[in-house]
Amino acid sequence: MRMLNLQRYLKRLQCKRISAYFLPGDVMLLAIGVLGVFYLFQLLWSTEHATKVQIRLADKIYATYSLKLQREVHVPGKLGDTVINIANGKARFAQSPCQGQYCVHQAWLSLAGQAAICLPNQVSLELLGENKPYDSLNY
Amino acid sequence: MFKIFKSLVLVALCFALSACFKEPLYHSQSYVFGTLVDISIAGESDERASMLANHVMQDFQNLHNRLHAWKATVANQPSELGELNAAFSNGKTPLNIRPDLAQMLLEIRTLSEKSEGLFNPGIGQLIGLWGFQRDEFTAVTIDAPQIKALVKANPRMADIVVSNQSVYSNNSALKLDLGGYAKGYALDVAVAYLRQQGVKNALINIGGNVIALGQHGNKPWRVGIQHPRQPTAIATLDLADGWAIGTSGDYQRYFILNGQRYCHIIDPRTGYPAQHMQSVTVLVPPQAANKSQAGVLSDVVTKPIFIAGATQSSRLAQAFGIQDFMLIDEHAHITVSKQMAQKLHWVNADVKFTTLP
Amino acid sequence: MKITQIQTTVEDHHIAKLAAIAIALHMVEAVIPSPIPGVKPGLANIVTLYVLYEYGFAATAWVSILRVFASSLLLGQFLSPTFALSLSGAVLSLAALWLAQHLPKKWFGPITLSILAAFAHIGGQLLLVRLWLIPHAGVAYLIPVFATAALGFGLMNGIITAKLISNKQKKSV
Repeated sequence: MRMLNLQRYLKRLQCKRISAYFLPGDVMLLAIGVLGVFYLFQLLWSTEHATKVQIRLADKIYATYSLKLQREVHVPGKLGDTVINIANGKARFAQSPCQGQYCVHQAWLSLAGQAAICLPNQVSLELLGENKPYDSLNY
Repeated sequence: MFKIFKSLVLVALCFALSACFKEPLYHSQSYVFGTLVDISIAGESDERASMLANHVMQDFQNLHNRLHAWKATVANQPSELGELNAAFSNGKTPLNIRPDLAQMLLEIRTLSEKSEGLFNPGIGQLIGLWGFQRDEFTAVTIDAPQIKALVKANPRMADIVVSNQSVYSNNSALKLDLGGYAKGYALDVAVAYLRQQGVKNALINIGGNVIALGQHGNKPWRVGIQHPRQPTAIATLDLADGWAIGTSGDYQRYFILNGQRYCHIIDPRTGYPAQHMQSVTVLVPPQAANKSQAGVLSDVVTKPIFIAGATQSSRLAQAFGIQDFMLIDEHAHITVSKQMAQKLHWVNADVKFTTLP
Repeated sequence: MKITQIQTTVEDHHIAKLAAIAIALHMVEAVIPSPIPGVKPGLANIVTLYVLYEYGFAATAWVSILRVFASSLLLGQFLSPTFALSLSGAVLSLAALWLAQHLPKKWFGPITLSILAAFAHIGGQLLLVRLWLIPHAGVAYLIPVFATAALGFGLMNGIITAKLISNKQKKSV
């Protein structure tokens, strides 16, 4: 007797697919919900941490490195070697042959879109990430 | 119902993909005007974009050579501006100059008048005295008597007499330094050239002054505004077609002497660097063809506001028809015009600022 | 001695039983650690929704508030931040349900109500966190994660509730 009940119950489960529980309004709300969540991700996760650093020397891209691996890069500029440190998702000018040392004072960069420039030695750093918060920097 | 479910998943997928898809973007960097020039061109083939960007860079280099305030050309000849300055210091000998340079001088005179003399490219001697006519800035010994003498000589743009293409100055102390004008002028030259070549979408950045053409993909170009004391942006905003943005700050060109910061923006009334601002940013809408263009205004208008301070900012901006501006004063206090406040997206959402009515 | 006998109906007993189940589900979730702190399926909401369909809004409010108070007392968290979070979530999701019950039944079923309640629940909690517990912008970073969880678990709970209700209806037919 009990077996029979269980069998009937299982049969009932089978004949009703999950989609049968959705009313048109439910589908619409679900769609709005999915779009809303996408929008929230786009809106609030845009200042993503950078993944790579691009080093430029004069008009050329000198090198692009991952920020994950620790390394020290020597860039031969027109005044001499600029030393760049990369470590733990950050990058910075460590040493520069220029007078002002403004580039060294910029300290560590870690967010996508951040940049530091050494004008005298024509070396620049730019951090690249999945989502750049802006196309260009006004300074 | 299952069909609707499937199509829903498809729509969501397309949405996610379109967020990742980007149209071709060409990017080129170079060092001109003693600073970094950055050109982005969207929606053109790499080949064509590279050709156009090179042409623009070449234009910039030519302008730079002609308008350089203190460097001679490669052939050891003085620049066009150098020649003009030499003539000015020799008294009232008229000099023939090229028509576009004469046009620039007239425009600068009008702008200087509008700024109540605070934007004054005629104080090249003061700028040189403070050590800002060099590639690198180091502390100078302050020559107080000489500064006083130069302020007293009072070189003004109104001292320049332009008739047709012949020019002379009524004041032999007048020495032009177009550092606060040439980059903005170059932006306008570039935009005019790119438009004429049929380019729809581009972003040009000369040493921090930025002008936009069209947009980037389906969104406007987005520009970050540098924080004056941190290596990061303080805010971002969308730069619509034809709009330009300029910032004057005390953090790019300056030196420190006895713990005091001396920046490159010199108050023509005192002869000393302006000391009450960290940065001034203006956002300039597209201008009518017969007026000063957005690029020039983005370069010029920040200077008088930087010198005069927050209390004068609204009036000075108004004089140039500008409604969007942001000031950060020496105490890091931020003041934003009402119109600008609506356009800024702060990087740090908790930032405190005052909005002007 | 006079004993006052409170008159109870069968319906009262049903609601009491359901409230007990809700409290049990709430406590099970409180004890089992979640991979992301703060993200929980909210199975007790299945009971809340079921009560709404079977006994109306007043009973729902009772079950929901009773669950929050009883579980926090049983877990020794009464008047703690955890309790405040649960209460603010419950109150906001009740408010959402109160509004949503007026939606046309032909178009909107338990799934809609469940998703709306889940969003309101997390909305109430985030609001409290932002205003009281962690008053800075860092919370914004977590919003998309919580919203995804609310959508997912809201959908799941909604489907389960829809199934329970349709089973009940079949039984009574």
